[in-house]
Amino acid sequence: MLLPLLVRPSLCYPPTSVLLTRCIRMLRCDAGRTLHSQAEHFLWRRLPLRSQTRGAKTRSRKTKGQDEDWKTRNKTALTYIAAAGVGMIGLSYAAVPLYRLYCQASGLGGTAVAGHDTELVETMKPVKERVLKITFNADTHASMQWNFRPQQTEIYVVPGETALAFYRAKNPTDKPIIGISTYNVVPFEAGQYFNKIQCFCFEEQRLNPHEEVDMPVFFYIDPEFDEDPRMARVSTITLSYTFFEAKEGQKLPLPGYSYN
Amino acid sequence: MSTAMNFGSKTFKPRPPDKGSFPLDHFGECKDFKEKFMKCLRDNSFDNSLCRLQSKDYLECRMNHQLMAREPLEKLGFKDLMDPPPGQADRDTKP
Repeated sequence: MLLPLLVRPSLCYPPTSVLLTRCIRMLRCDAGRTLHSQAEHFLWRRLPLRSQTRGAKTRSRKTKGQDEDWKTRNKTALTYIAAAGVGMIGLSYAAVPLYRLYCQASGLGGTAVAGHDTELVETMKPVKERVLKITFNADTHASMQWNFRPQQTEIYVVPGETALAFYRAKNPTDKPIIGISTYNVVPFEAGQYFNKIQCFCFEEQRLNPHEEVDMPVFFYIDPEFDEDPRMARVSTITLSYTFFEAKEGQKLPLPGYSYN
Repeated sequence: MSTAMNFGSKTFKPRPPDKGSFPLDHFGECKDFKEKFMKCLRDNSFDNSLCRLQSKDYLECRMNHQLMAREPLEKLGFKDLMDPPPGQADRDTKP
């Protein structure tokens, strides 16, 4: 008990009661848990009972106030969290049209760049330095009996210049066959620059028995193709058409067309 | 067509043509123009830039035979092949 006194002589100051100060000093020193508890017990015995009751009252009032304070704090915190949650859900719903707008503006994801319209054909200037080879491919579905083939294997165009190409289809059977076609462009990223002014795809084409027709494709490559860094190494584009047999009365969902 | 099972990658989205579909030339009314165009291509090693006149003729034939919606040729990208307007031609011939 007297050890802390010896160890810390500097803590000496004029005491009201030597024992009390010693106890306080011991509390401050925190010499040990048992010591601390002993001192505390001693201190409490020394103090009058009045203060104890007074402390209890203030303590209960304080805790009540504290409880209320905590309650209000909790309420505000909960409101903030709930608002943040609702905000996040709203943001996730709003993100869909916002992302679509951003894609249209920046042209990412292969979406048609806003501003690609028919007036461009009038005003575009051919980029004569960049010669591209367009190769043609023709396919038919296994059950489609047409003979379908391109009339030229390749054609050399420059971006910004309209070009014409021909396919030929023959119906060797004795009954009329209705065909419908779709197309594909390889490489994939070049497909967004490949613009068809007019072709024979996506609409039913009827061939009578033993009939042979020429099918033209009128297209151009967007002049912005030359400025795209991803297209810097692309010099060959392959256009591939595939014909399927259309059943009578079957309505296929055509891209971009609406049935009004 | 994307045949691989890569769901993450972008799929090819075919776009409809700007002016729709060509009606089929069942009667071969413009076959001569087409033959001229193909011959031009074969002679010029399939260079499209040198055969634009023939392609313009073919499209004009189509328009004349109701096989294509009539459009001014500038809209089809043939502005450089158009004849100059008559007023300018007169001014050119005047000494």
